[in-house]
Amino acid sequence: MFNSTGFFQQVIAILAKDLRTEWRTREIFTFMFVFTVLVIVIFNFAIGADPETMRKVAPGILWVALLFATVLGLQRTAQLESEEDCFQGMLLALRDRSVVLIAKVLVNMCYLLVVTLCALPLFSIWFRIDVASHLGPICLVLTLGMAGLSLVGTLFSTISINTRTRGLLLPLLFLPLSVPLTISAVYATTDLLQGKRLADISDYLTLMSVYDIVFLVLSLLVFDSVVEE
Amino acid sequence: MTVRHGQIKAPTAHKIGWYMLQATVTYIVMTAALWCVFIYVPTEKAQGIVQRIFYFHVSSAITMFVAFFIVCVASIIYLWKQAQWWDNVALSAAEIGVVYCTLVLITGPIWARPIWGVWWTWDPTLTLTLVLWLIYVAYLMLRADASDAKRTRFAAVLGIIGFADIFLIRWSVVKWRTLHPKPVVVQEGGTTGLPPSMMVTFCLAMAACLLLFFFLLRERASLAQRRYELETLRDEIENELVR
Repeated sequence: MFNSTGFFQQVIAILAKDLRTEWRTREIFTFMFVFTVLVIVIFNFAIGADPETMRKVAPGILWVALLFATVLGLQRTAQLESEEDCFQGMLLALRDRSVVLIAKVLVNMCYLLVVTLCALPLFSIWFRIDVASHLGPICLVLTLGMAGLSLVGTLFSTISINTRTRGLLLPLLFLPLSVPLTISAVYATTDLLQGKRLADISDYLTLMSVYDIVFLVLSLLVFDSVVEE
Repeated sequence: MTVRHGQIKAPTAHKIGWYMLQATVTYIVMTAALWCVFIYVPTEKAQGIVQRIFYFHVSSAITMFVAFFIVCVASIIYLWKQAQWWDNVALSAAEIGVVYCTLVLITGPIWARPIWGVWWTWDPTLTLTLVLWLIYVAYLMLRADASDAKRTRFAAVLGIIGFADIFLIRWSVVKWRTLHPKPVVVQEGGTTGLPPSMMVTFCLAMAACLLLFFFLLRERASLAQRRYELETLRDEIENELVR
């Protein structure tokens, strides 16, 4: 059942297909990016102009913006696949359904990482935070966080797109489940920006890795029951 | 048109004996627990009268975890065996678990206001309970929203993942400073921190909550089972009419 070369070839094929579609339209990226920027700007108004307060809550704002953008982006990717029964076609073409799950998770992760990397410079300028000098560790936190978000998100966007309200339920399912990830990501980012080193935030990194692994295993186990007709 | 009786399974008869037994035992234990909480047990010196809410607060919280554990186990068995009964059990346990969770979230602040001076604080245990409430309310909404064929499988997936998430949420919220009173019922070394009269009252309240939970669970699950059978019958009759 588990043929490794075939497995990765298939994953890469789906990944390439989705990225090519996205490259031609740039629809999801533009949408998520503008939305993230918008949320950051709105929070600026909500919190006020005091630079000290703003610097304190900045990591929280960044993650809230990314969470909301994730919800919207995931909804759109799931919607694209459900049009014309693309998703069913893909499932029929492949014998191993975990291929679809892994490919979709990677696609969503790509979108999220690209959006985040584009939003970081703006974030750094507006909140007057020096992100560049901690870029390595922050990228590690972002990658761990995005992996978890896209894992849970992919599973539940597949579920919510198949309900009567077509994806309306996604934030309600997705946001409470991502609480552990949000907490550790926000505090890890805060600590890093305050000058702490990677070793100091190892607790948060462990938590995020465990979260990612637990949800990877669980998603692989239950994905068949989600997509079964 | 002929109706062939042999094909249609007779609906499950409600076992009245079990119902009566369970109802009676639950009633007696619940009355005893209430009597103990309000009359028998002495008022705690430091906290005063409001401490009496603890008996039902803690036992509701434990029952809530039992309920969500049952949701998870029933969901796993449902996905594995595809037997309708286990889906009914998961649905019923989730519904009743949300009710107990709501009770915990209501009784907690009533106790916290005079003791801590605030209705709510973002302490790990409180936060965990609130997030659990949100997850299982979403579970019920998902059940209400999904179409019939897929509803049960989606719900089972959420039931499993939600329970696995409890440990991660717990781990992450413990990062905050803990305000919540440390468990006093069983302390380290197995000795109890409670005087005997309070221990008896607590055990009775615990038993009452669990008995009530299992009584409601059985009733709710058999109601769901009969609703499912009714729908199956209706489908069969419709098919028969079309033919």
